[in-house]
Amino acid sequence: MALSSGVGPATGIPGREDVRRDPREDHGSRLRRLARGAASRSSRVGLFVYALTLGGLLGLASADYATSGGYPFGGTSIGSWTAWPRAGSLDTDPYARAVNARRGDIPLAIGEGMLLTAASDDDGRVLDATCTYRLAGVTPPARAWTITVTGRGAPATGQEPVRTGFTSTEILRETDGRFAILLSPEVQAGNWLPMPRPSGPVRLALRLYDTPVAASVGSLDRDSLPAIERTGCGS
Amino acid sequence: MRVMSRSAFLLATACGLVIAGIVHIATVLAIPRFSEGDAFTRARASETLDHPLRIHGLAGGPPAAGGAWLPNPDPAVSVGVCSYDLDDGPMRVSAQSGSLMLSVSMHSRRGAFYAVTDQAAVRGGLDLVVMTRAQYDEALANDVAGEVTRDVRIIAPARRGFAVVRVIAALPSERAAADAAVQAVSCTIDSPAEPTGDEAGSGKS
Repeated sequence: MALSSGVGPATGIPGREDVRRDPREDHGSRLRRLARGAASRSSRVGLFVYALTLGGLLGLASADYATSGGYPFGGTSIGSWTAWPRAGSLDTDPYARAVNARRGDIPLAIGEGMLLTAASDDDGRVLDATCTYRLAGVTPPARAWTITVTGRGAPATGQEPVRTGFTSTEILRETDGRFAILLSPEVQAGNWLPMPRPSGPVRLALRLYDTPVAASVGSLDRDSLPAIERTGCGS
Repeated sequence: MRVMSRSAFLLATACGLVIAGIVHIATVLAIPRFSEGDAFTRARASETLDHPLRIHGLAGGPPAAGGAWLPNPDPAVSVGVCSYDLDDGPMRVSAQSGSLMLSVSMHSRRGAFYAVTDQAAVRGGLDLVVMTRAQYDEALANDVAGEVTRDVRIIAPARRGFAVVRVIAALPSERAAADAAVQAVSCTIDSPAEPTGDEAGSGKS
């Protein structure tokens, strides 16, 4: 209401100028002036509406884009993994809070554990469901951890996958405590993690429970997390 | 005139971009407040229960009413929520530590403010009491001198919130036990008048 009344005087000024100049003009140019005044008045209203519409649509669309899907920022990337220690805490950024609210997610609190995600392999290529990957190495100190694979978007219909993840207790290890998980669409010997969908990008989630590293993510480096190595693609 | 209109158009575009920025920030900040699908709103279904509402079970079976909304749950972790409103009195979450790893975290609408695992259990039990500052002062005043309480007292930043109980099933054979461990946790309201009467009772026993 206040905005529209602000438009009134502003659009009125050219009209008043037209009236003042009237005696110097003949009838034809007077009509032209009047028409131009009306046009400029409507063009100002048009510009006003344009600015509001542009602002509203752009603002809503960008807010929707930034808060749909994963957290836009706030993670610490370590090699191909990204750690999200603060996703659920009180001092998290407003975007992460909005993402959690939209998804209905309850992230792990700092004293509880930490989530790490990976969407690409060590060479930076996006994890693809038709390829075979070897996850090998060690994990940071934690009382328990789980590694899971999910496909982005809606889950594929059909039969349930045989398994969607490993826990630290289930996994078969080498004698030195290291392990290797084979993430593949084909059956593999050892720790085989089947692909959750026939094609498309997938992502990995490593959840560390009761871990001291949640409070000091900076202490983590590439070698303290499992390497993700692509061993082949049978497309 | 044409130059004028072009500069006016550019000005309108610039104003539009500024408005877009304001709308963007306002929307992002407003989403958690007005969201109806967030954990805070959905956890309210558990307000009348005295045990956690299971929102991610492992043993299969039908999900509880109002449960099973987590977008990407850990397939090896059983999750339950307890909603609280501190106007009804402090909320007590009691858990017995068993063979499975258990963690309890306290959340307000803005995020988690406290978390503890069963490693903090005293004599096999974990007692957390969420309270407001006034309730905390009252509890301190009612404490009997020399008596040791094993309650962990947590001051909540907001009146309403929820507690989340997570139990990890390290092996598939432990899944039913993990679900049972979540159900075995109790979330009860310490009524405001209780401390004085209850403390005399607990002192005798």
